[in-house]
Amino acid sequence: MSASVLQTQVGVSDERQAAARSAGRRFGALVVRLGAIAAFAAIMAYFVIFAPGFTSTFNLINVVEQSAILGVLAYGMTAVIIGGGSDVTEGGIDLSIAANMGLCAAVYATLLSMGYGDFLSVLAAIAVGMAVGALNALAVVGLGILPLLATLAVLNVAAGMELTLTQNTVVGASSPLLGVLVSGSFLGVSALAWALIVFSAIMIVVVHGTSFGLRLYAVGGHPEAARAAGISVPFYVSFTYVLSGFCAAVASILTVSRLSASTPGSGELLLSVLAAALLGTVFSRRFVPTMGGTLLSVLFIGLLANGFQLLNVSSYWVNGVQGALILLVVAITSFARGSEGSR
Amino acid sequence: MQTAKRDIAVSMTGISKRFGPVRALENANLEIARGSILGLVGQNGAGKSTIIKVLAGIIKPDSGAITINGETVTSLTPASVEKLGVHFIHQDRLLVPTATVGEAVFLGHEIGLGPFVSRRAMDRRAADLLKRFFGMELPVGTLVKDLTTAQQKVVQITRALAQKASVLVLDEPTAALVKREVDSLFDVLRRLRDDGIAVVFISHYMQEIEKLCDRVTVMRNGADVGTVDPRQTSIDEIISMMIARDVGEMFPKREVTLGAPVLEVSNLRLGGSFENIGFDVRAGEIVGLTGLLGSGAKEIVQCLFGLKPADGGQVRVEGRELSLSTPVRAVRDGIAMLPEDRRAHGVALGLSVRENISLASLRRYSKSGLVSRGSENQAVDGLIKELSIKTPHRDALVRELSGGNQQKVAIAKWLSCQSRVYVLDEPTVAVDVGAKVEIYNLLNRLAGEGAAILLLSSDLLELVGVCDRVLVVYRGRLAGSFSGPAMNSDALLAASSGARSNTEGVAA
Repeated sequence: MSASVLQTQVGVSDERQAAARSAGRRFGALVVRLGAIAAFAAIMAYFVIFAPGFTSTFNLINVVEQSAILGVLAYGMTAVIIGGGSDVTEGGIDLSIAANMGLCAAVYATLLSMGYGDFLSVLAAIAVGMAVGALNALAVVGLGILPLLATLAVLNVAAGMELTLTQNTVVGASSPLLGVLVSGSFLGVSALAWALIVFSAIMIVVVHGTSFGLRLYAVGGHPEAARAAGISVPFYVSFTYVLSGFCAAVASILTVSRLSASTPGSGELLLSVLAAALLGTVFSRRFVPTMGGTLLSVLFIGLLANGFQLLNVSSYWVNGVQGALILLVVAITSFARGSEGSR
Repeated sequence: MQTAKRDIAVSMTGISKRFGPVRALENANLEIARGSILGLVGQNGAGKSTIIKVLAGIIKPDSGAITINGETVTSLTPASVEKLGVHFIHQDRLLVPTATVGEAVFLGHEIGLGPFVSRRAMDRRAADLLKRFFGMELPVGTLVKDLTTAQQKVVQITRALAQKASVLVLDEPTAALVKREVDSLFDVLRRLRDDGIAVVFISHYMQEIEKLCDRVTVMRNGADVGTVDPRQTSIDEIISMMIARDVGEMFPKREVTLGAPVLEVSNLRLGGSFENIGFDVRAGEIVGLTGLLGSGAKEIVQCLFGLKPADGGQVRVEGRELSLSTPVRAVRDGIAMLPEDRRAHGVALGLSVRENISLASLRRYSKSGLVSRGSENQAVDGLIKELSIKTPHRDALVRELSGGNQQKVAIAKWLSCQSRVYVLDEPTVAVDVGAKVEIYNLLNRLAGEGAAILLLSSDLLELVGVCDRVLVVYRGRLAGSFSGPAMNSDALLAASSGARSNTEGVAA
């Protein structure tokens, strides 16, 4: 008798605690999200007031153009994080994406300089990018190596191959496609900006509008549940790494067009790419990476670098700020998710 | 066979399955009728989960026939079973935490046009289904992680219903639910039954079986031993059907002389797991502790190990109060522990037998910080012989030994420290019969030498055979203390499933 009475009491208080915990967590998440957005807005407001020429149309278009390369890469990274899960240590991550872009750019520029046409050179760059992605997929899905380690190793493979190919030199490049990308414009918007707009639209529709995208989130969010629903987890995870390689190849063509050459040092973009993909999670109600959130973060990071430039702050600071942002976002999201794991 | 043919949704006949030398199913039968709730009961290892896995297409049977909706099916896969309308509600909540309820319900069967999905349509359909079947109203777009455990269970069932399930198999669905939630789950299941769905309900809780089920199939030793109507059969009868009577001379007898209490536990409490736990173990006494999964029995032992810090209460060893904050402290305070997952905690597989045995007691073989290999070897060889650990050499890696011998190494580790209190967590799981008997002998010997032993086990026969007294935990409280003739597996099973309690002997 007394046992059953107690049982009910324990039950009720448990449920109340759970409800309170869940409400508390939701409130905490809301505060974090609004806080982050307010901080972004405050930084932007500061630039608007104090950075000369920040709001000029020319400057803003310039930022969008500059953001195109980062954006395309960040979409690849975001897809990998969605499909691999956003656990910081074991989840999906592609550290090789920037080095892969460097390799693709080297392949593209070298082939152009050897006289192969745009068609073949672009095709080769994309093939190389996707092959590196497939190597990541093999290491992560096939061999079961932690993505953090697997893609770190592939980073070195890609970077080494780039150096072998270019001997650490600048390979100049020009072609009709590059000409269009550099100077072409449509409806007053430059080709690079269009590239970002079109790529963003495709990614947002595919990831957020299709059952493919929904399943991709399921694979990352709870692989067991996805498997129980008849979804092939290895296929989806592999796909994200190959997609990430494809994004690296596309970004490589954009970067060659901007610099009219393939240049060493593309690996430095990795920090920005990671920052953009991780930062995007604070824009999501569910604290998951989203393509829209990534786009906002990419623009934010672009504006941040631009604002520093206009204020004559050394661009070296941007790296520090991005690193701090990554730490902050990872800490906040782990905190916000914290209680899930222990339930 | 009394039920009319057309009412049978699933019929499994003569199913057998062996895993190596282990006979998991032997000519087992299961018949699931439409519009009724079938309970499936049996002790751990009786074959319940194996036969369900066969139906789910996860395990291929060696022989036997399966008929679903009148059609004989030969090779089942998880996907083909679902197509036939048989759905499984797993014990773990297999739902994506960051998905909305609509997304979770329709994952894998999304609503939309071509490759495109309509989240709004899925959320709305899910809300409709939840309201229609369960009278449950959730804000549109609620995330799975913000639901209670019971609500998540309901969402899982809705998932099956959305795919037109005709047979619903629920594996221990109430394990994580509180009473009110259990009641509403039962209402749901009754409504589904009345709609003509065949429901299979697997549970250890006898009261639930009695309250909910129309028929109960009892399994024992890999076969079905009978199907009864729980309203006409008492819980005691069902329980006695579950228990095998052929207990041989597995359990060596011994003379008991009890000394003073060595391990004293009072008012131990861990939020959400158990509370007000108090008992003591005297010198020379073997006390059993048992309870169903989630009852708190396991957590009590983990508290004593220092793996989970208790929220309150005292634990004393020979009168000294312990702070059981970490395993290190627990060891230093003289508690020898044998965790269940010996691979993870009990022995270091990559180290040698010698290193494992002397690990916890290196200080005894050490002079000014250096290990004296001679006296270490001597002690280790003595223990290997004494426990008849089958190892080629004292420097053989523990990984190469059999499960039972690994367990003996884990015990030897503590013998070499000469502990006064032994806490063992399922020491004979995955250990062959011969090694089991040797472990029982060892426990007897330790007790004979005046050690106090607490044995957590879910093997009721083992508890009855080895222990002087058995404590049963039910839903976080001590539900009974059994000794002498009152200590039999029927009584233990009844107490752990909440059917009966015996609180007289329990120290408050």
